[in-house]
Amino acid sequence: MNRAVFLYVGVLLTVLLSFTGLVSIPEKQLGGLQPLVDADGTQYPVPPTGLVAEGRGVYIADGCIYCHSQQVRPEGFGDDIERGWGTRRTVARDHIYDAPPLLGTMRTGPDLANIAVRQPNENWHFLHLYNPRITSPGSNMPPFPFLFRKVPVEVQVPHDALSFPPGWEVPGYAVVPTRRAKALVAYLTSLDHTHPVPEVPQ
Amino acid sequence: MNAAASFGAEPTVAWRAEVDASCAYPVVAFFVSAVFWLLFGTVLALVASIKMHTPGFLSGAEWLTFGRVRPVHLNTMIYGWGSMAGIGTLLWLQARLSRVRLPLQLPLVVGCALWNVGVAGGSIAILTGHGTSVEWLEFPYGWSFLFAGIFVVVMAASLMMFSARRVGHVYVSQWYLFGSVLWFPFLYVMANALIHGALARGVVQAATNWWFAHNVLGLWFTPIGLATVYYLLPKVLGRPIHSYYLSLLGFWTLALFYNWAGTHHLVGGPLPAWLITVGIVGSVMMFIPVTTVAVNHHMTMKGHFALLKVSPTLRFIVLGAMSYTVVSFQGSLQSLRTVNEVTHFTHYTIAHAHLGVYGFFTMVMFGAIYYIAPRLTGREWSSPRLIKVHFWGTALGMAVYWLGLTWGGILQGLAMDNPDVAFLDVVRHTLPYLWSRTFAGILLATGHVAFAVLAWRMFTLKGRRLPEPASAPSAVLAGGAG
Amino acid sequence: MSPIYAVVWGTVALFGATAVYGLVWAIRTGQMRGFGRGALSIFDDEEPVGMVTDAFPGSIDASEDAGDRP
Repeated sequence: MNRAVFLYVGVLLTVLLSFTGLVSIPEKQLGGLQPLVDADGTQYPVPPTGLVAEGRGVYIADGCIYCHSQQVRPEGFGDDIERGWGTRRTVARDHIYDAPPLLGTMRTGPDLANIAVRQPNENWHFLHLYNPRITSPGSNMPPFPFLFRKVPVEVQVPHDALSFPPGWEVPGYAVVPTRRAKALVAYLTSLDHTHPVPEVPQ
Repeated sequence: MNAAASFGAEPTVAWRAEVDASCAYPVVAFFVSAVFWLLFGTVLALVASIKMHTPGFLSGAEWLTFGRVRPVHLNTMIYGWGSMAGIGTLLWLQARLSRVRLPLQLPLVVGCALWNVGVAGGSIAILTGHGTSVEWLEFPYGWSFLFAGIFVVVMAASLMMFSARRVGHVYVSQWYLFGSVLWFPFLYVMANALIHGALARGVVQAATNWWFAHNVLGLWFTPIGLATVYYLLPKVLGRPIHSYYLSLLGFWTLALFYNWAGTHHLVGGPLPAWLITVGIVGSVMMFIPVTTVAVNHHMTMKGHFALLKVSPTLRFIVLGAMSYTVVSFQGSLQSLRTVNEVTHFTHYTIAHAHLGVYGFFTMVMFGAIYYIAPRLTGREWSSPRLIKVHFWGTALGMAVYWLGLTWGGILQGLAMDNPDVAFLDVVRHTLPYLWSRTFAGILLATGHVAFAVLAWRMFTLKGRRLPEPASAPSAVLAGGAG
Repeated sequence: MSPIYAVVWGTVALFGATAVYGLVWAIRTGQMRGFGRGALSIFDDEEPVGMVTDAFPGSIDASEDAGDRP
């Protein structure tokens, strides 16, 4: 008796159907999305390059997505916009150059879709990565000391040394960001999805 | 045809013993490996849990940073513990239900060894900073070729046994196993090709990612877990499943609806509303298969709950099956936009995920190993007390885990949805619940250590020998007993 | 990239076509019959209905099968 064929058919058909619905059709709908070009020729979004792209790699390697999301929910759904995490919800067009997209699924830490707008200062980011408790008392973010080097201060403090608030300095040492830290901060200070898009009427 | 003749040969009166014996090396290999990864994954889980409330813990070491430990925990539990326990169980179930010996024994043992290499290699890759940050696919994609290749052997063995089956009837567990063994490779190959092959871009990649990850739960783990309960529950009790027709309904509605649930991970996200709604609808429709399974299992157990005192396997699979019902109803509810608005992005989701992968699937796998291992080694488990430590440690641990993070997650979500609450205050309020999770983790770890000791003794053949199976008074052959 | 698309879509089409063919075949030849027997197929004379087949270690007599008792 050949119930096996019936099983085979049903099993394949069900997964093919969902593949079509959840993957193929969205790809048809969104695959052709293009960036916007302003009157003055600026493109939005731009693919990450150089140090920003490197920094995206550091974000991926160190698993930042497991505590941080990068998606602003629509107005009236949750309070992302009221909280100041963005001026509009994020849309598919924001991510056309993101492979993989770093949407995240946890908010142990705040959403970062527009962190460049909230925290444009590089030194803030360096301090925060070196020891989150310096800038954010009570934070449970892990410190990333391995993204920095401690350099004994002889005559001159290196120009890119971190500038600590009083009480946090390491006596006799300057803390200098490595290339990975600089790349990561370049990436973080590029995260700005406030550019208006036609999908979200203002 | 030679290989087929040996494994598909006419079974004798002692067919059960022969089938079990044929499974011994491959299934034990997968079980031993699974228990190893369970322990390894548990250590990582404790490290990650402690880091969340005590961020300075082991924070100097780059390779132990939370963002690397967490995905290694997930991947070793999914591909190490869960999938290897699942593969061992599905091979044995298919052999028993088809009444044929397990074929491809050497390739399966080699495959098991290589699968371990894959999990270890992928884990080291993540810890050294080469993780992909694609959830459930964090191993660098080159490793996927290895896993896919090994899985072909598993699939072949399963389908060979199924097609050589000597029972006129296809038992309900076999439908689920048939499904899982075809669904998983399709999901795995397509997801890897589209995501790591960068064919899906931007948010379509996110949809593909969650189509994959949720289907690993729904079309790989769940069918194996349900197949196991559908076989072991009646087998332990000595009572047939209450309603076979309900089983049919449950399988096909699961196949139809579970597939579509994936995008409920992206509610509120930058995707077309119809795509999210489809995921919510699929999730809510899951009430149908989950209810049929719950009714079926309950009616089969009804009047026999006293046997829970008597059978270790029964304890684990009944708790597992009940968790399946609870976690599925919870899942259907939390996909609804009004609930999701509060629970998304919070520890509530983590509690839910663990109730499913641990409360349901892992507990059922524990039950399966307790039943299967003695039949492969011919030995008893060595200590009823350790079994009880295992059961109570894990049952209580899971209860504390789920209660703490569910409640903590709801509070976290409500606070996050209130723009007047500073984010650092939201964090502060989650801390006691994060501590409760570490406490739960210690309970779980205690259970796992007890289990590992038992497994060590079992698989090094230290237990008391089991009596030889009594020969049947009448011939037992193909066609079933009726 | 194009060859991969061809493989992906080709596989989907192939599986889809066989699935549809098989479904039509299954309906035509009436594959859904007789379910009651199925639930009993996992029992036999050696492990019949009514026999409990699991117990805590140390609680089974070594001399005979467990029977329906703790």
